[in-house]
Amino acid sequence: MRRVCDLPCKVLFLLLCFALLPLDCALAEDDRSAERKTMVAEQIVARGVKDPATLAAMRAVPRHKFVPLVQTFFAYDDRPLPIGHGQTISQPFIVAYMTEIIHPGPGKKILEGGTGSGYQAAILAATGAEVYTIEIIPGLAESASKKLQQLGYDKVRTKVADGYYGWAEHAPFDAIIVTAATEFVPPPLIEQLKDAGLMIIPVG
Amino acid sequence: MVGLCNLRHLSLALVSAALLAFQIVLLQSLATSQWHHFASFVISIALLGFGAAGTILTLTRNWMVARQGPLLPLLLCASAVALAGVMRLTQGLLGGFDSLLLFVVPGEMLRLAAVAFLLMLPFFFGALAIGLIFTVETERIGSYYFANMFGSGLGSILGLVGLSLLLPQSLPPFCALLALAAGAVLMPGTGRSVRSVMLCGLILVAASLFLPAQLHLSQYKDLSRTLDLPEATIVAHRPAAAGQVHIVASPVLRSAAGVSLNWSGPMPRTKAVFINGDMVGSLPPLPAINNPRDASTFALPYAVRTPHSVLVLNAGTGVDVAQALGQNVGTVVAVEPHRPLTETLRRNAPESFGRLLTDIRVTWQETASRTWLARDRQSYDLIILPGIGGFGGNAGLFALREQPLLTREAMRRIWEKLTPQGMLTITAWVDYPVRNPVRLLASLVETLVDEGVAKPTDHIAAVRSWGTITVCLKRTPYTSGELDNIRAFATRWAFDPALLPDLRPEERQVYNRLQDESLFVLFDAIINDEREALYRDYAFRVWPVSDDQPFFSQFLRWGRLTTMAELYGKHTTPFLELGMLVAGLAALVLTILAVLLIILPLVRLPREGRHGWETLFYFGGLGIGYMWTELALIHRFIFYLGQPVYAAALVVGVLLAGSATGSALTGRFTELRPWRWAAVVAGTLVLYALLLTSLLQATLPLPLPGRVTLAVLILLPAAVVMGMPFPLGLRLLNRVRSAEVPWAWGINGCLSVVGAAVATLIAVEVGYSLLLILAAGAYLVSVAVRFRGEE
Repeated sequence: MRRVCDLPCKVLFLLLCFALLPLDCALAEDDRSAERKTMVAEQIVARGVKDPATLAAMRAVPRHKFVPLVQTFFAYDDRPLPIGHGQTISQPFIVAYMTEIIHPGPGKKILEGGTGSGYQAAILAATGAEVYTIEIIPGLAESASKKLQQLGYDKVRTKVADGYYGWAEHAPFDAIIVTAATEFVPPPLIEQLKDAGLMIIPVG
Repeated sequence: MVGLCNLRHLSLALVSAALLAFQIVLLQSLATSQWHHFASFVISIALLGFGAAGTILTLTRNWMVARQGPLLPLLLCASAVALAGVMRLTQGLLGGFDSLLLFVVPGEMLRLAAVAFLLMLPFFFGALAIGLIFTVETERIGSYYFANMFGSGLGSILGLVGLSLLLPQSLPPFCALLALAAGAVLMPGTGRSVRSVMLCGLILVAASLFLPAQLHLSQYKDLSRTLDLPEATIVAHRPAAAGQVHIVASPVLRSAAGVSLNWSGPMPRTKAVFINGDMVGSLPPLPAINNPRDASTFALPYAVRTPHSVLVLNAGTGVDVAQALGQNVGTVVAVEPHRPLTETLRRNAPESFGRLLTDIRVTWQETASRTWLARDRQSYDLIILPGIGGFGGNAGLFALREQPLLTREAMRRIWEKLTPQGMLTITAWVDYPVRNPVRLLASLVETLVDEGVAKPTDHIAAVRSWGTITVCLKRTPYTSGELDNIRAFATRWAFDPALLPDLRPEERQVYNRLQDESLFVLFDAIINDEREALYRDYAFRVWPVSDDQPFFSQFLRWGRLTTMAELYGKHTTPFLELGMLVAGLAALVLTILAVLLIILPLVRLPREGRHGWETLFYFGGLGIGYMWTELALIHRFIFYLGQPVYAAALVVGVLLAGSATGSALTGRFTELRPWRWAAVVAGTLVLYALLLTSLLQATLPLPLPGRVTLAVLILLPAAVVMGMPFPLGLRLLNRVRSAEVPWAWGINGCLSVVGAAVATLIAVEVGYSLLLILAAGAYLVSVAVRFRGEE
């Protein structure tokens, strides 16, 4: 009889251990720069991204601070991760690829449509670019804004709004990054792009 | 005693009805909260409950038989309470599980297993009661099996009726009431404690009626994401067996799919429309407004020439119909099989959608598009197919969704229906890695080759925006004037020609640059007759699909998973083919649960002799064979009847009724030779595999009542004989080794779980005809078995 009673306790203990595993990992990992270096070398440089500013930003920005606590253990994996509200933080390679294409840097003004976790905005800011980012979902916008502030990316300008209208007060932009899934590109965004400016949109 | 028997028959029928109705409710609940790939998951969960119950019966047979009087109402009460509560438990306490997180959140697999376990409970308790009755009434198993099957058939009808009237999450308490009634009819003669428990059960079930569970939608469902938008509200909602309809309004919702970057006009606000939580489109714009769709690649066919007659297949919310009317076409035939969708839109959007129904140029047909194609004798200048894929990277999510309009057979029929200058048009969202546009082009080119067209490239034009690609296939070669029109259209809206008979390579990426050249390399391989090499070497399945394997969005090649992982990252690969991999994982979880709950305890059971393998192979073969047959037939009749829910109800209903009749007939048999009937089933299934597709295609033009009648006539003979081997085998086993009867019941259930869980995965690989042949093979395994001592 006693053996029968033990079994649920053991199962409960195992489940508890499993549930607490990511929390434990999160607390133990304050500096994960070595993982970032490996991520850049194996996932990004190996796939052809070469822009020094982009690579430096990818090595510098602590991606694990932009993912939910339960995901921090997997922050440097080669995959997108869920951040809530049906949204994801993009795979590191995609972030680097999109960043490299628009050549961000000091003096460049960039608009991001879809702040999400705030990671892409932080990468752009780390290159020295002037970053404006808009998020339509208040929960995501507040969380991203707080993280950006906490991590010192306080020059990133954030706004909770419908990205359809862009950010006319700060237009024109050298580049516009659309990181949210969209079935059309709003005309106001095109109007806010400089001549010869670049817009990059993820498809598929 | 006669009265008791009759009450037990009634009880058996009631609980069977409750369990089957719950199964149908669960199908739609999971299709809404998750995705449709959980269809076989639900069937497997039900069978898991039955299998686990068989095991418990085996282990406690004598104890349970001795206490059958009070036990039966108590078990049925437990089933009722579980029916009333598991939806709340799985959706509430566990926070729901999210199939999209299976590959990224630690413990999500455990949550899936926990959900499967909880959902199994009503079936487990109900099946314990059913199995107990079967165990004590073995010699009259035929009539009890009949009551079981009759109740199940009734339950499938009740489930469908319920889904047409109420939300799926409101229905489990009604199923629970049926199960409770099943227990109540067996209460006479039981003690006070049983009555007290039944009263508690009644209170709990009644409470659940007033406090129904809330469905916890996956955060990745289109409906969830849309409801996250500012001020988003559901403005209309209609329950429907074919899939519940939602219309959502938000000030930030606009309709302009794939519109050109050069479009400077307004983006009209709209409302989004969903079926079972998946977006099916938005309301068409009002006629006074400039339609941005005219500045999208969807407008390509109108740039070539203005068609007079247009056929819109799977017309949905009517955006293609509205565009055609805006282009001043002569007549439009719109075909949409989802009647509740059309009705909801008519009532709630009279100005935008309603006008389409009243426009004298439009004929609205509420029938399945394939049926219409088979029946209709008209030819059209333009045939519009629904778009493929979607924005936001969800290509792999619908891998197990059947798309009968995109098969080679459908394409050939569409080709036949084009006027000499007629065009077929279809738009795909560009995905990466490229799959949808490649399979689409391959399907069109193979259609032209099949039709004996000497130079297919003369008949195909395609233009590409930043996110969409629209292909137009023309019955006669494009003229130089038409090609000039296409180029002018592309230039005006900053689109790039992707395919033209005289296309120059430098024209392909003038306005919209892609990450790499893979789309063009793959397109070139298709039009340059290198298709076979492409089909063989590409990491994804991109060859055209057929009616036998109508999974257009299924691209996964299991053997290329390693290559995909190298190319796209091992952690990213699951996101490319989520539908298949989620179904595979669910099958794995269910198989593990089935082994743990059904097989493992039985392995240690003392047997009468060493001939347990005979029971294993005989009843296992029947379990797998029955489920593969049922699922293969359901899928074959989806194509025939046009709606998955009709096909499932008809096939399950006829199989249950026929099997019930067959089992009842076995009650009169004095000679027990079950393998003979298993051989008859196997032979019938081979005939089905060889003849069914042609027969269904030949009779597809019949009106629905005619098709339903023919379907019943086709299915009934197999259903009757399929009901015979199991009860005959049970009776024979009872004579030679009676202790193994519940074991036989359990093993049948276990292998039915595994069979149902993997059936669709097998069909994706080999097709439904071969799945029927495999089912016949499973029955042949049973044919080969003889029970020692039976002579």
